[in-house]
Amino acid sequence: MLLALLALHVAVALAAPTVAGRAGRWVFAFCGLAPAAVVVWASGRAGGILAGRAVEETLRWVPALDLAVTLRVDGFSLLMIALVSGVGVLIFAYSWSYFEPRPDLGRFAAALTGFAGAMLGVVVADNLFVLYVFWELTSITSYLLIGFEDDKEEARGAALQALLVTVAGGLAMLAGFVLIGSAAGTYSLSQVLAEPPTGTAVGIGLLLVLLGAFTKSAQVPFHSWLPGAMVAPTPVSAYLHSATMVKAGVYLVARLAPAFGAVVFWRPLVVGVGVATMLVGGWRALRQFDLKLLLAFGTVSQLGFMMALLGAGTPEATFAGVVLLLAHGAFKCALFLVVGIVDHEAGTRDLRRLSGLRHALPITFAVAVVAGASMAGLPPLLGFVAKELAYDGLLADAHQLGLAPLAGAVAGSVLTFGYTARFLWGGFASPVDVRAGAPPHAHRPSAAFLAPAVTLAAVTVVLGALPGLADGLSAAAATALQEHHEPPHLALWHGVTPALWLSVLTVVAGVALFATRGRVEALQERVGGLPGAQEAYDRAVDGLQRLSEGLTGVVQNGSLPVYLAVILLTAAVLPGGAVLLGGSLASPPPLAESWAQVVVTVGILVASVATVMMRRRFAAVLMLGSVGYGVALLFVLQGAPDLALTQFLIETLSVILFVLVLRHLPDRFSHHRWRLGQALRWVVAVGVGVFMFGFALMAGTARTRQPISRYFLENSLPEAGGHNVVNVILVDFRGLDTLGEITVLVVAALGVASLVRASRRGEPAGP
Amino acid sequence: MTVLAQTAVSGAHPEIAWAAISPELTLFGVAILVLMLDTAGEQRPGASLLVLGVTLVGAGLAGVATGAWVLPALAALAGVAQLALTARWRRRPRLLGAVLAGAGFVATIGLTAWQQATAPAQTVVAGMVAADGVAHFTRYTVAVAGLLTVGLGFGYLEERRIHRGEYYPLLLLAATGMTLLGASADLIMVFIAIEVLSLSLYILTGFPKRDLTAQESALKYFLLGAFSSALLLYGVALVYGITGSTNLAEAGAAMAVVGTPVGLSVAALALLIVGFGFKTAVVPFHMWTPDVYQGAPTPVTGFMSAATKAAAFAAFLRVFSGAFGPLVLTWRPALYTLAVATMMVGALLAVVQTDLKRMLGYSAIAHAGYVLIGLMSVSRDGVSATLFYLLVYAIMSVGSFGVLTALERRTHKAVALDDVRGFGRRSPLVAGIMALFLFGLAGLPGTAGFMAKFAVFRAGVEADLTWLVVVAVVSSVIAAFFYLRVVVAMFMDDEPPEAAAQPPLAPRGAVAASLAAASAAVIVLGVVPGALVDLASRAATVAL
Repeated sequence: MLLALLALHVAVALAAPTVAGRAGRWVFAFCGLAPAAVVVWASGRAGGILAGRAVEETLRWVPALDLAVTLRVDGFSLLMIALVSGVGVLIFAYSWSYFEPRPDLGRFAAALTGFAGAMLGVVVADNLFVLYVFWELTSITSYLLIGFEDDKEEARGAALQALLVTVAGGLAMLAGFVLIGSAAGTYSLSQVLAEPPTGTAVGIGLLLVLLGAFTKSAQVPFHSWLPGAMVAPTPVSAYLHSATMVKAGVYLVARLAPAFGAVVFWRPLVVGVGVATMLVGGWRALRQFDLKLLLAFGTVSQLGFMMALLGAGTPEATFAGVVLLLAHGAFKCALFLVVGIVDHEAGTRDLRRLSGLRHALPITFAVAVVAGASMAGLPPLLGFVAKELAYDGLLADAHQLGLAPLAGAVAGSVLTFGYTARFLWGGFASPVDVRAGAPPHAHRPSAAFLAPAVTLAAVTVVLGALPGLADGLSAAAATALQEHHEPPHLALWHGVTPALWLSVLTVVAGVALFATRGRVEALQERVGGLPGAQEAYDRAVDGLQRLSEGLTGVVQNGSLPVYLAVILLTAAVLPGGAVLLGGSLASPPPLAESWAQVVVTVGILVASVATVMMRRRFAAVLMLGSVGYGVALLFVLQGAPDLALTQFLIETLSVILFVLVLRHLPDRFSHHRWRLGQALRWVVAVGVGVFMFGFALMAGTARTRQPISRYFLENSLPEAGGHNVVNVILVDFRGLDTLGEITVLVVAALGVASLVRASRRGEPAGP
Repeated sequence: MTVLAQTAVSGAHPEIAWAAISPELTLFGVAILVLMLDTAGEQRPGASLLVLGVTLVGAGLAGVATGAWVLPALAALAGVAQLALTARWRRRPRLLGAVLAGAGFVATIGLTAWQQATAPAQTVVAGMVAADGVAHFTRYTVAVAGLLTVGLGFGYLEERRIHRGEYYPLLLLAATGMTLLGASADLIMVFIAIEVLSLSLYILTGFPKRDLTAQESALKYFLLGAFSSALLLYGVALVYGITGSTNLAEAGAAMAVVGTPVGLSVAALALLIVGFGFKTAVVPFHMWTPDVYQGAPTPVTGFMSAATKAAAFAAFLRVFSGAFGPLVLTWRPALYTLAVATMMVGALLAVVQTDLKRMLGYSAIAHAGYVLIGLMSVSRDGVSATLFYLLVYAIMSVGSFGVLTALERRTHKAVALDDVRGFGRRSPLVAGIMALFLFGLAGLPGTAGFMAKFAVFRAGVEADLTWLVVVAVVSSVIAAFFYLRVVVAMFMDDEPPEAAAQPPLAPRGAVAASLAAASAAVIVLGVVPGALVDLASRAATVAL
């Protein structure tokens, strides 16, 4: 059934452009059917899943490769489904109001549906590779959605950056999966978690997986793509970049943390990165003027919080993280929807230009206050419950984690309070900043436009006030991740605990932060941004380009002699080295058998050196010819006149051909100024020469079998009826080889003919 | 020496398994037929009659001499058909050549399927030619690549006015060499096959005779190729010297015997690696690749990248994974180093390329590195993954070069990254197909490229080459960057003003059909690759 639901997403996405052609904006109603179906299905199965019976489905995709798609829904997946498909339905409803009719709505709706399907796949996949596939699909659909308004240069750059960062992280994650899976002997996530493998390779694999998770969930220092992605239409920001996709990394870490939390680097790294992200995001959010960017940095901050909690891998922190995941999905999404409404109705998102919207948009304002209060962690909202649990959990686990994470979480929550106040004050209450221009006139949004945001705000209130309603889901999610001694429970009031005092501290410090916002802004101006992650991205892309250019200059300069030298040297060094290392010279043959041989050989040597030294082409060719004639003389001395004759003919013919060609070339070789180049040529030439010498020597003495020539000599007359052994070998013993060589000749002749014909016919120069 | 053993039976005609080599014979025969047609010329029925006469007499003599009538009869039939077709398409000789070449490739696929279904894995023609899964799969790959190339190149060659008659015979001869290379069970046959395909490709590369880039690249290819062939031949000689046989099965068995001089056998293997490395464009023997890919006519580049790689890797596979498999510990360290260098250098250098043909050239190098993983696995899974990868890569590569061909016909120059900006807005369908090929080459899930990479990497992990696979994944990350950059340029950038004046690109006829077939294959093999994977895994038999 899950597979069918995934297929339904694909089918709906494929049909969306056609539907949009007929139905316009109603395409969103059509596409909303897919996540709605998932919600219906999940509600039906929720009972069993909450009771701890996970739903599992397997499709054997490519049996020969052991590639099977296994899907598994446990409590934690169910919670993620609530976010992915539940929020998804609301987003589709919202999009119906958000967009004016335009021709490419179908493309947008298709990509959004595709994303919903891919994200669903991420949270239900059990096989690591299937998880990876869906993971990358979310990156690609996200890329399409960010770049939807692709006539903006900014949108394209942001889309590409988001894609590169997340896809690159994803591939690193794939490498990590390979390492972990090969150590575990299985690629099933649940089996890997049940019996976590150990070892160096697994450690490196985990680092790679974390790289993927950190990039996807916009953790420091990879966070800069997320604010950039805010150029996307608001439904996309609300859905992908706050509620779902950016939580994929957190999701994966949450799954792995209980099993691998004991690995030595895991906690310091994951919790450290999470806390750092929380602080950096909160700090940056405090100085944004664009409401959407403010929320984006707020999301970065909250993702860091979740990463720290779920990455800690301890039962209490995990439970807190799960609740925060749910709470954040509701309040952040609601806030984004609010920003979309403000942008739509007032025409700007600049909080310096907005003012008094609480009168113009009362319901919107109410939603913003509720959701904002939840984000800031005020009772009686779900955000408060989550934060209390987090403080509680970090306190309880302080013996394992130290107090630093707790301090970071409190500081981060203070910042969160600060930017939430800034958001509400700047967006709805502040008097207008006259320098920024006249305040825009705001329209009233329609009921349908408001409904999704109101729903999410209502969820925040109801679950905050009556946490028992979410008890089952969050407890099931937490126990699916990790064994708990006793089932955890949600409560609004925990009594007067240290966590409560910390909450009070957070609120007080947050109010102070807001009250002194002028000074804080001035301080921020002076400090500036942290040494930018954005710059790092730019520099990394740049650096790759430069490294690549440098490498090209060195190894690919287009020079034939260089290419040749590399091939020849490799050929000389690789086998030459092997011969030197492992070779043995059993009985070296005599250096020479007669004085005549010595004389001829010296002549050949002189001629070959002269060939290289000659400055005139013609002289060099003549010297080369002399080398050939010298070899022919050696054949004569060895008693092979027919071979010598052939060699003479070939040499003569080549010299004649050379002369014919040389008529068209300059008289002298081009002069070499580069001394080192000349020296290198000598090295290559001598090196290859020495290698060939050694090679010939070794090959000659390495014979372990009887020479085949005796067989040929004995059998050529009786078997083949021929007196000339060479002829018999050519046409009989190795007749097939000769046939092949004739084919080669045919091809060569064809080439020559082609050249001749082409030069006779005219043909335009260049393509 | 099996050859000798066979010829020793005096008086009888040597038994030759014509059926087993029928795909090669077909390709070769069609090549000669098209060549004859071209010689007969456009309006020379007289000459055509003369060719027919010579064919008939030759066929008759051959029949009388050998007593076997099948092939002579086929030749005579071909002669008659040639006369008929010349008369039919008197004014369009190139079309005739293209149709015949296409028919030849289709027939090759059919004959291969027939052979695969009926004949057991064995070696034929005195142990020179293997008729096994690797050979069959290489034939499929080469024939599919050839078929697509014929469809994609016709209009391009016409417009560049380099559509000379030798084009199709050369293409077919190159394909003959490639299929033969994939089936060579003897080092001598390996060498001959390499020569046949190389010579054809040298000429095809330099086919645009007035184009200096093409001439330069052809010359470079020829000179470097000649050197590497020579080194390969040294390797063959050394193997023969050590083992007393060029037959792969015998040589492999003899090399594995304890007591074989280690230094010499390592040297022989190293020389063979140089030779195969050159043909498969493995670093550091890759240097010709970008230059040649850039200079050659684009359809030829596509064919070269796809089919040559498939054939050369098939032989590489047969020699190293098959014959010298027992020596795996000897040769794997060297290949390990080369594979790492190949994957990294190919991917890194592709990043800076702005000429798309050149970029694909470098990416081809990186892909050679991935295929090496399959080869180095020395397992049944490794062989089948390699074969699958080569076929999938062939389709994607020919397809992407096909789109470039179509683009070049519009721009009349080499296609740079700037030329495709905004291309997706004007011609969404063609750009979408290009994007599909690029996604596939990048190995994104849902495409055949992913399946191929997965299969190869899996084989690597199972052979304990985990670290090599990790390097491959890193290389894929870098590669994804430059593939996706092209997609971004096509769909998200603004069109340069001069391009706005041009009509959208709407391929028709053979080009459209070829592109559609290739892109359908990329999707289908990415979603339901089961059948082909099974085929590859059943084909993972090496007969020696």
